[in-house]
Amino acid sequence: MDRFLQDLKPGERARVERIEGGGALRRRMMDMGIVPGVELEVVRCAPLGGPLQIRLKGYYLAMRRGECARIMVCAPNREYSEPSLASR
Amino acid sequence: MKIALMGNPNVGKSTVFNVLTGSNQQVGNWAGKTVERKSGIIHRANEEIELIDLPGTYSLTAYSQEEIVTREYILREKPDVVMAMVDASNIERNLYLVLQILELAPRVVIGLNMMDLAKTAGITIHSNKLALALNVPVVEITAAKGQGIEEFLAEAIRVGKLKKDPIADDVPYPEELENRIQAMERLLSDTIWATKYPLRWLAIKRLEQDPEIGQTWKSIPQTNQRNRSTDPCCDPGDPVKYELQESVSLPGEALLQAYEAEGWNKDHFEMAVADAKYKYISKILPEFRVNENPVKRTWTDKLDEWILSPFWGYPIMVIILSLVFWFSFVASAPLGGAVSEAMAWAADVIVVIMQWGQMPEVIQSLVRDGIFAGVGAVLAFVPQIAIFFAFFSLMQDSGYLARAAFLGDRFMQLMGLHGKSFFSLVSGFGCNVPGIMATRTLEDPKDRLITMLINPLIPCVPRLGVMSAVVAAFFPGSRGAFIMVSLLLLSMLLVMFSALFLRRVVRQKERSAFVMELPLYHVPTIRNVLLPTWQKTYSFLKRAWTFILVASIVVWVLSSYPQGVPMNETWAGKMGGWLAFIGQPLGFDWRIMVAIVFGFTAKETTLSTLGILYGVAADASQSIAQAMTGAMTPLGAYTFLVVYMLYIPCLASVVTTYKESRSLGWTSFGVAYNLILSFIIGWLIFHGGQLFGFQ
Ligand SMILES: Nc1nc2c(ncn2[C@@H]2O[C@H](COP(=O)(O)OP(=O)(O)OP(=O)(O)O)[C@@H](O)[C@H]2O)c(=O)[nH]1
Ligand SMILES: [Mg+2]
Repeated sequence: MDRFLQDLKPGERARVERIEGGGALRRRMMDMGIVPGVELEVVRCAPLGGPLQIRLKGYYLAMRRGECARIMVCAPNREYSEPSLASR
Repeated sequence: MKIALMGNPNVGKSTVFNVLTGSNQQVGNWAGKTVERKSGIIHRANEEIELIDLPGTYSLTAYSQEEIVTREYILREKPDVVMAMVDASNIERNLYLVLQILELAPRVVIGLNMMDLAKTAGITIHSNKLALALNVPVVEITAAKGQGIEEFLAEAIRVGKLKKDPIADDVPYPEELENRIQAMERLLSDTIWATKYPLRWLAIKRLEQDPEIGQTWKSIPQTNQRNRSTDPCCDPGDPVKYELQESVSLPGEALLQAYEAEGWNKDHFEMAVADAKYKYISKILPEFRVNENPVKRTWTDKLDEWILSPFWGYPIMVIILSLVFWFSFVASAPLGGAVSEAMAWAADVIVVIMQWGQMPEVIQSLVRDGIFAGVGAVLAFVPQIAIFFAFFSLMQDSGYLARAAFLGDRFMQLMGLHGKSFFSLVSGFGCNVPGIMATRTLEDPKDRLITMLINPLIPCVPRLGVMSAVVAAFFPGSRGAFIMVSLLLLSMLLVMFSALFLRRVVRQKERSAFVMELPLYHVPTIRNVLLPTWQKTYSFLKRAWTFILVASIVVWVLSSYPQGVPMNETWAGKMGGWLAFIGQPLGFDWRIMVAIVFGFTAKETTLSTLGILYGVAADASQSIAQAMTGAMTPLGAYTFLVVYMLYIPCLASVVTTYKESRSLGWTSFGVAYNLILSFIIGWLIFHGGQLFGFQ
């Protein structure tokens, strides 16, 4: 079942499947290490719909919900097939 | 030899730069402090070295202004050696940029910084194995403790002196990508471009259709670039402007179109290249990194449990901020009082000496009513400035500031502001000039403009100092703290209102992403806390005996001539008279209007001007603010405080707004907005207060 990063609960882990929307946003995420196949964990959510704290590659990142809603994730243990390199 | 410091944001580049050159680049524990290049000359081994500190960047494909500075430098100036700094505690992501640098720059030395942090996090990095894996020299450093920095530099010089460019290992690309890169390489290998840049890098950038490939840029010589007298409170770096010389289209257009038909457009290439780099890093990582216990809870995890807690986070933030303001502006009052008394005493002593020496009356008056009344008034809030800065440095060097941005982001969102605007606004408390420059980290020009225009509404420390001096006089005791808080809340409210208002004025389509790194907490170093505090205080003191001294003398002359007439008949009095019509609706007398006009140059002069015009030193035991109490009601004083807080910060901030926005229109708009807003709010408070019967 595919979900968006935004829907994860604190403490949940997932693997990035695809980043929707193109251009600057996708590149910015790419530079920060959010590429298809990478594993990440939602550490906590700021209250009242604030940003999410995410852990990946051994560091912490804060991201707004709006951005998290564009990152499609799947369960971390699912066998990972070659990234579909979904470029648009 | 030109050596450049490059790396991700917040890896300690400026720390190394400061140690090596003795500069005072801003250092702190959040990403994006350095926003302009800065160079320094050092001498080692009979070699003159120009060391350049660059803004941190996550990749060489740059979007935000400060990243563009770095990219332009590395592409257009081609340093002889790149000192690539890496955060050992976060090596996986850091190496992504290193791989990009290795593709572009032939001579690179890797500096593995924050070895101490990596160790406490349970990460061991074998630097010799990293050097083997990438085929690049690696030096271990702990910049905050000064360890390894000289070795790092020595290694860079050694690499710089090599006869031939060393060869680093290439990133292995998957076959379908590699074939395409090679096809492009064959097309480009005969052009002159291949002599300017590494062929592989050129081919990849051509496939990604990087717009700069094929362009030649020349730097425009800066005319009297050292002229920095306009912003004395901060260093704007060494900006360089470029001019496009020529632009040619490179071969390979047909090939690009063929690839596009196969589904390999430029985005696809970018993604594939990035993906290959990350894969390569994951592959070589186990060779040199041992993470003993990846789930071990670090100090940062434990602290964040509380500090970022959905429940405790905000109360903790309120407590911390209240403590900072209480210490800086309330608890420091006796210190400020002591300084004023000392100044008054010194003025008395000097006047006695001058009387004994039978100096002319005019000189005595100049010293007593001009210099001591003016400069002395300003010196009285040096303690506030020092204490505030010490706390501010503590917050930024520990890493709390980034957490505050995380917690405050919800409010930024409500205001329609970008998350990174937070840092610009917070820096504004220190000084609005770096605050305005900090907007460079915002990618979207509209976000940037809005943040730039509201920044002046944040009261900077000198302003807060003047305000707290006036507050202490009119509202003694705990009432003072309450008034001060109300003023700060008012400024927050107006920032919020203005952001929403400007969002309507400045049309904007798409919002840019907010992704911010949350760094590990650091134990603040004494150097990083006390040095900036001292520097700020010193630059402030320097201003007091240069700029404010001159302003004080000017005001004294204006208010003493023609001689022998009552105060309101003097030049200053006449000038105030013309302005009185603006001040009238706000209940300001002519003195305040004159002070406000002088405040345009720098806000501290408002207090020195008032000191002279209210003629305090005539009775040296009084402070200016106390002298004002006789002439103004508390309501009038509150109105003055509000207007004072809101109208433009200083000339330097206006100049900076113009430099950063490159628009005369928006700069004038910003100035007009500040003036009109301060007038309207002042009027509302004055008349509203009278209506409710406040005095
Ligand atoms: N624990 C530890 N902290 C360090 C070390 N080196 C630097 N720091 C701290 O790391 C933080 C960032 O250092 P800066 O020099 O400002 O980093 P920068 O790379 O110039 O950052 P930007 O200008 O934002 O790109 C500061 O708080 C430093 O005190 C180190 O070796 N160990
Ligand atoms: Mg820096």
